[in-house]
Amino acid sequence: MTGRNKIGMHAAAVGFALLAAVFFAIALMPGRPVRAVERDTASDLLDYASPLELLFSPDGKRLYVLCQQSNEIRVFDAATYAVINNIAVGRTPRGFALSPSGDRLFVANSWDDTLSVIDTAKLSVIATWPVGAEPSGVVEDRVAKHLFVANRISNDIAVLDALTGEEQKRLLGGRGASYLTLSPDGARIYATHIYPNPSPLRTGLENRTVPESEITVIDAARAVVLDRIPLHSVAGVFHLAFSNDGRLGVVAEYHPKNLVPLAHLEHGGAFAHTLTLFGADIGKPIEVPLDELERYAAQPFGVAIAPDKSRIYVTCGGSEMVTVIDVPRLMRFIHTHAGPYVQDLSASSNYVVAHIPVGRNPRGLALTRDGRKLLVANRLDDTISVIDSRTLRVASTITMAGPKTVSVLRRGEQTFYTARQSFQGQIGCATCHIDSTFDGLTWDLEPDGFGRDVVDNKLLEGVKDTEPYKWNGGNPNLPTECGPRTEKYFWRSQNYSDLTLTDLVVYVRSMPTRPNRFRLPGGELTPAQERGLALFSRTVDKFGKPIAESNRCSFCHSGPKGTNQKLSDVGTRKATDNAGLLKAAPLTNIALTAPFLHDGSARTLEEIWTVYNPDDKHGRTNDLTKDELNDLIEYLRTR
Amino acid sequence: MRFPARMLAAAALFLASLPVGGLSSSAVKADIIVTAAPVYEPLAALTGGERFPKGAQLLLVHDGKAEPLVTGLAASADANVSFDGKTVLFAGKQAATDPWQIWELTLATHAVRKVLATETDAIRPLYLPGLLPEGRLVYARRGPQGFQLETARASEAPPSYASVDTTPAIIQITFLPGSAIPADVLADGRILFEAGFPLGSNSEGHPTAELFLVYSDGSGVESYRCDHGSARWGGKQLTSGDVVFTHGATLVRFTSPLAHEAPIAAPHADFAGAIAETASGEWLVSARANASARFALKFWKPGTPGLISLLAEPGKDIVEPVLVTPRHRPNRHPSGLHDWSYANLMALDARLSRAGDLKSTPASVQLETQDAQGHAVVTGTTPVDPDGSFFVKVPGDKPIRFALLDEKGAVVRQEQGWFYIRRGEQRICTGCHTGPERASENRVPAVLMRTTTPVDLTGVTPADAAQPKAPGGK
Repeated sequence: MTGRNKIGMHAAAVGFALLAAVFFAIALMPGRPVRAVERDTASDLLDYASPLELLFSPDGKRLYVLCQQSNEIRVFDAATYAVINNIAVGRTPRGFALSPSGDRLFVANSWDDTLSVIDTAKLSVIATWPVGAEPSGVVEDRVAKHLFVANRISNDIAVLDALTGEEQKRLLGGRGASYLTLSPDGARIYATHIYPNPSPLRTGLENRTVPESEITVIDAARAVVLDRIPLHSVAGVFHLAFSNDGRLGVVAEYHPKNLVPLAHLEHGGAFAHTLTLFGADIGKPIEVPLDELERYAAQPFGVAIAPDKSRIYVTCGGSEMVTVIDVPRLMRFIHTHAGPYVQDLSASSNYVVAHIPVGRNPRGLALTRDGRKLLVANRLDDTISVIDSRTLRVASTITMAGPKTVSVLRRGEQTFYTARQSFQGQIGCATCHIDSTFDGLTWDLEPDGFGRDVVDNKLLEGVKDTEPYKWNGGNPNLPTECGPRTEKYFWRSQNYSDLTLTDLVVYVRSMPTRPNRFRLPGGELTPAQERGLALFSRTVDKFGKPIAESNRCSFCHSGPKGTNQKLSDVGTRKATDNAGLLKAAPLTNIALTAPFLHDGSARTLEEIWTVYNPDDKHGRTNDLTKDELNDLIEYLRTR
Repeated sequence: MRFPARMLAAAALFLASLPVGGLSSSAVKADIIVTAAPVYEPLAALTGGERFPKGAQLLLVHDGKAEPLVTGLAASADANVSFDGKTVLFAGKQAATDPWQIWELTLATHAVRKVLATETDAIRPLYLPGLLPEGRLVYARRGPQGFQLETARASEAPPSYASVDTTPAIIQITFLPGSAIPADVLADGRILFEAGFPLGSNSEGHPTAELFLVYSDGSGVESYRCDHGSARWGGKQLTSGDVVFTHGATLVRFTSPLAHEAPIAAPHADFAGAIAETASGEWLVSARANASARFALKFWKPGTPGLISLLAEPGKDIVEPVLVTPRHRPNRHPSGLHDWSYANLMALDARLSRAGDLKSTPASVQLETQDAQGHAVVTGTTPVDPDGSFFVKVPGDKPIRFALLDEKGAVVRQEQGWFYIRRGEQRICTGCHTGPERASENRVPAVLMRTTTPVDLTGVTPADAAQPKAPGGK
């Protein structure tokens, strides 16, 4: 893109912001319908670097910055922060790791399912290896034998030959496997995952049970799973770090309150933001809260432990701060106070010693070898905060090269990720829509009545032009869905300004859809998918009996998004539902979004028909064999 | 507004009496407004009494000189500067025998207007952030059972065509058998208020002052902290989020991390609460050497040993300092109240309490309200589920309190005071008096696994329900 084109785009973005604001202000006038803003602005996103993760080279002389939006690794001089090189990698890189010697840098490109291998001497990509679905984290073992890659969509950790990239096997990880950490002794890999694991047994109350997650512990030498450390009532597990002596492990996570009616946010009503501590210093894993009574540590993500094990640093993406924990005080607290601690909002006063405000959506962080500086990647500011660990203040800020103006989309994304809007900063849109997706949970929202209309949280990708919103179609458009409804029943503290709401709606409408991994590269269907399409489209059942138009899959799930945007009764109403009319769910990337049905009662796509469609009201399916249902599911996965 | 000549003469005499030589104009760059009163009884309103029984007058401290802020009124007090720093709300009396009313002064012109005309005293007005520039205000108005908080539109003009503020002109937001006096509007949008502890203590008694919180629509009323002290009042929030207040006569604070008050290493003095914080973090305080001395306006830089005198006047207390500067607008609370005449309340685990968790689950829970004479009336009981949860429908906008009963109907635990839930409010309590530090566990309350219909403890019979209801607002 030329500089002139870039300037043109920025001017267009600014112009559009004004235009959108006018549209929206008009839309909000009494007596006028609230209208969605029209504009496809996805290309605006390409301008920003969006630093997500940071790494220092083993000798501490270079700083590598993973730039998620510009699809680059930027290399800086770690002393002067001067740019050394920018290296183009694959689409939407999400994780990276250096080989133990530092001679190779591996980058997981989450949207094109590749791994870029960078020669750190030449500072160029020397290989691009195909890997699994949505690779998000990578780490190499100490002897350069195995490379481990966490695949978010296939929920596994692929084991690759570290020299050739050839996949040797896959290990089952948690759902949404994403982040990998090598233990300091190099013996084990620790994998975390961002969505809760599916319930192993069907009880009929899966959607009302406590979410379970895990830390998957892998033997680095043998590449086998050694252990799964359970994380009870946790959904959303992010980075994990060890102390240099390997005796203290810590992982950042969300502890949702999705089973309690969401009547208010005070007193940790929606989420606790926690760390799980484990390792020899701890014994049995312990979960400790980061929140305070009136200040929440929303969206904890990155975590680092000081070289002398004096402090733990945690980035809080929604709260736009770094939380600092005094480790000796933490140890004293957990050794002198009986747990559990998560329900005690005053517990953190015993060990949290500072909150350091940084930029917007701070994510990855890296400590210098001497522990004197902590660098924090502010993803939605295109900056890196350099924190002096002695003063616990931001000493300087590195600005990434890129646009200086903030586009409508960028502001919208900032609004989506911040927790500022909610009561005491407890939650943001991205708390439940992790990385702009979903959280795999069902929630009991207050306005429908306590215990009534329990709803599954759905994917936002492709949400544009699928109104009405909510399962019951109660919100006619995105400005209503994101605005008054969210302000009243989620934020419970603050109204959006018209401009901010416009930004947010524009961002949500423009969310790009992830590539579908179940389609063949050329877009053609496999034989099973073809058979599934035929079943999806059929007008007569296997006995030759016509299927009423309204009971055909292709009727309600019609159109490019797989929804006719109408309400219908598919026989899934529960006694606790206020109504049986539900909106036909869009099918965009439907296979990724378990659980299914409006209340998340179906653990799998198959259960929609084998368990919850006894009367063929949700399409004619009871004439199908298991193989035919599998074909139908194979087709749905391509949507 | 025109002012009689004798008022101007009185003002001139008053100005001559001011000890302007004591002012330190360099210490505080912004103008300051204070209330000067011959007698100041800060907690009198909690028992329905008069805080300024011998009158009061607002003074504007400008360039080291103090002069009356308002002329033409017999009394003025309780200044609150708007978020843009351009106007001042205050309580005033046109004649000494009038009730206190709410007025607003425009600083640029010193023009004043009566914002609210009430038949009884209306005091301590505070600006609330609204959807429109004029916003709303909260104040305390004297009623049969003491002062109650109300909110009102700050503008006399009807909402403009673009307004989305369709709320009634005046809304009562506390419903207590005792007084509530607003102290500050917090950054999160909630109103900090003083009331007797236990909440709803009868105004004829001698309640212990305590600080409470409520949303601007009257929902979510609760204690700020549950380490209740002997007398807490005069709370103001700092830009850090801490709330500084007077406990007895000492300055203390609530902080976000702690479930209990924290000391402030302030110089030894009696403090009258209601501090003001300068842009650079110093405090303006009303302090006196001892109970027999007068409150004077002092300047204090936290962490330093001494107070610097700014303004003192023989025979008068100088209290309630406010800075005339723009300030951060608090959050606007979007009310989610339903259009109901009742409220719903769910306790997640009634066994939990700051007073010690119950070892066994109580058999049932009993709800009481008050009749027109203030007598406690039982409206019903319902079983408590094995996990300690219960879900009940309660009368809205009325004093209520719960008691936990054993299998024989004997009281196991009982609320000490009274609280209320707004009509249309749905509320969840983690336990019974668990304190704000106690967060909920993530589990479905057992009662919701049985039923999603709350047990009706409103005490309203079907015949009652057929009667027309009084509106929630006025």
